[in-house]
Amino acid sequence: MDMKNILKPLEPILSKSLDRVESFIHTHPKVDFLFGAIFGAFDGLLRSTKETTRTQPFIRNNYDVKRFMGAVLVALVIGWVLPALYFFGWQCVVSRLLVSFIIGVFVVDVLWAIIAREDHISEGGFVTCLLIPAILPPQSPLWLVGLGAALAILFRNVLGGVGNNLVNPALFSRLFLTICFPSLLVTGYQMPFVGMPDLHSFRYGLDAVTHATPLTAFKTNGEVVSYFSLLVGSSGGSLGETCRLALILSGLWLIKIRVVNWRIPVSYLGSVLIFSVFLSLIMGKAVAPPLFQILSGGLILGAFYMATDPITTTYNQAAKLIYGAGCGFITVLIRDFTGLPEGVMYSILLMNLLAIPIQSLMVKIRYRT
Amino acid sequence: MLKEKENIGFKGGFNLLDTYPLRFCNIIERISSDGIPEVFEFRVPAQKIQHVIVNLCPTEPWALPNWVILEHKTAAFLNKLKEIKTRYFPEASYSIAINKKEDEPNAAVKNYAGDAEWMKVFAVDAKYPQDDPVILLKVVLGIETNFGQDTTTQGVLILDAQTVTAIYENCMLGNKVDSRFIALSGTGLKENEIINVQLGTSLEKILRNRIKESGKYRVFVNGPLHGREITDLSQKMEWSINNIVVLEELDQKVMFPMFKSDELVLTTNMLGELRRCVYCNFCDDICPVGLEPALYYHSYKRGEKHKASLYNLEKCIECGLCSFICPSKLELLHIIKECKAL
Repeated sequence: MDMKNILKPLEPILSKSLDRVESFIHTHPKVDFLFGAIFGAFDGLLRSTKETTRTQPFIRNNYDVKRFMGAVLVALVIGWVLPALYFFGWQCVVSRLLVSFIIGVFVVDVLWAIIAREDHISEGGFVTCLLIPAILPPQSPLWLVGLGAALAILFRNVLGGVGNNLVNPALFSRLFLTICFPSLLVTGYQMPFVGMPDLHSFRYGLDAVTHATPLTAFKTNGEVVSYFSLLVGSSGGSLGETCRLALILSGLWLIKIRVVNWRIPVSYLGSVLIFSVFLSLIMGKAVAPPLFQILSGGLILGAFYMATDPITTTYNQAAKLIYGAGCGFITVLIRDFTGLPEGVMYSILLMNLLAIPIQSLMVKIRYRT
Repeated sequence: MLKEKENIGFKGGFNLLDTYPLRFCNIIERISSDGIPEVFEFRVPAQKIQHVIVNLCPTEPWALPNWVILEHKTAAFLNKLKEIKTRYFPEASYSIAINKKEDEPNAAVKNYAGDAEWMKVFAVDAKYPQDDPVILLKVVLGIETNFGQDTTTQGVLILDAQTVTAIYENCMLGNKVDSRFIALSGTGLKENEIINVQLGTSLEKILRNRIKESGKYRVFVNGPLHGREITDLSQKMEWSINNIVVLEELDQKVMFPMFKSDELVLTTNMLGELRRCVYCNFCDDICPVGLEPALYYHSYKRGEKHKASLYNLEKCIECGLCSFICPSKLELLHIIKECKAL
């Protein structure tokens, strides 16, 4: 609890000035119109709410959706931002993050809040905008990142904001980009830097760009990259998906604090393993080996962070297992039997839509209605 | 944030005793009413009683603790119970539910039960709401009941420790019982204490000089989770009041709530904004009777309150844990009550 002691002297000053800003904003309708939403979000991050309980029970747990999102943000920073800083250089990572946040949160989301007259912007936008650079190639143009962030936030808000998502907004925006700019999504895969970092590598990473991720390499010439390099992140791929070790560790932390339901990653990864073992027993070398399937592409990122996006899954816990298994099945099918090298995005989007019938089916079975 | 991990660990109930430990001052003050006190009366149920359950397992930290009644003389207490048995319900089976973690009464009761064949001992988890009649009947006797149903209609009598001693005093010794122990606790009081109050005393007299002078407060009877709020303090003390909780009314914004989990407990603040359901599965994990409370919320939000009864709504025991844990701060218990009222 060191953090609490450090912040203690700041509290009265900050609280008083926030109160002053709040009363200023509320007494000036025009200021409120333009900046009320962004102040509301900022204030909400620092302070609790005024409301007290009116109905039973009269005490509540100190755990809210903001901390939920905060935990996901922390896990994503540990899971992909820190490793990416080492493997791809800070210039690549920081510029993409800045563009994504500024366009997504501070332009599109704030504009939407002004137009739709919402009280404040939602912190869920930070998670979406932190995911957008992670699922694009490391050397994709910056405008592509900005466009992706704008589309994701716009799409989420059109459907009614956090809690009304039909599909994962970050993945939907990537799907849109894949359709509109197919060539940009298969180039710009910078090779990760390996070794002792010097100033140049810390800034730029490695000056080598390839067109082939491990999955496309396997698709074209059957080449299997070493599992160790896939695990630690020294093989190519999207900006945030390469260091699987950090992603798995931070994902396990999220499971431990119950932000991520364990059923989805376990059933997703489990079904990928089972189906790929089954297929490689039948078809031998024509399909990718099971462990390679698990460790390559965006599967780990998808299983821990994308498929588990709270509102796009099912509510019923048994249905969550079916949902995860469906994701795994479709991923393996796309990877092994179509011309596409990677199927995580399509499988999660498809299962997001199928989650609704799965949910109502499971409820019907459970309650026999 | 790391300290919070015990608070998040829950499954089928919530361990309130370890999460919010309360200490009571062990000097017991006596408060007498100004008028003529009411008298405790024991009415033998009309139905034939087949089972008697003695509940020695309070699961709420603000409930009256066992040591007040047992006074570390558990064997003497059980002797009283035996006398009540021979006089009133000689054919009934006797079960004692006791907290697994309370070592002293646990050992004493088990020791006593070694020679006494007429009673059985159940060491239960002290998770809230283990001592709810519906769960107690299910755990101890394996009998299903509905919430709100009088258990004596099924031939089961549930007694708490204080009622056992009162029955003994009143019916065996012929003394008038006109007072009872209650536990006073909460952030709005100067000190948590146990008092012996004459029935009929007004709550205002009980709380006088005990409430902190500064700040607003709210008064709850029988706990803030499933008890009721008292706005009129001239109400009289009754036998059914087990405890009074006075909570600080925290109606202002607090800086950095995420680092203050240990300070912010037991206040009436919502501790978060009202959001939409995010399918976090906290409510169905914590539900002690295995329901899915968010389904009622979804029905309610779609304007289909009548559909909530399809999802085993009648099994809900209104313990309030789903609303308590919900990170979106949905009023789930309120919604459940509204759907039940249809």
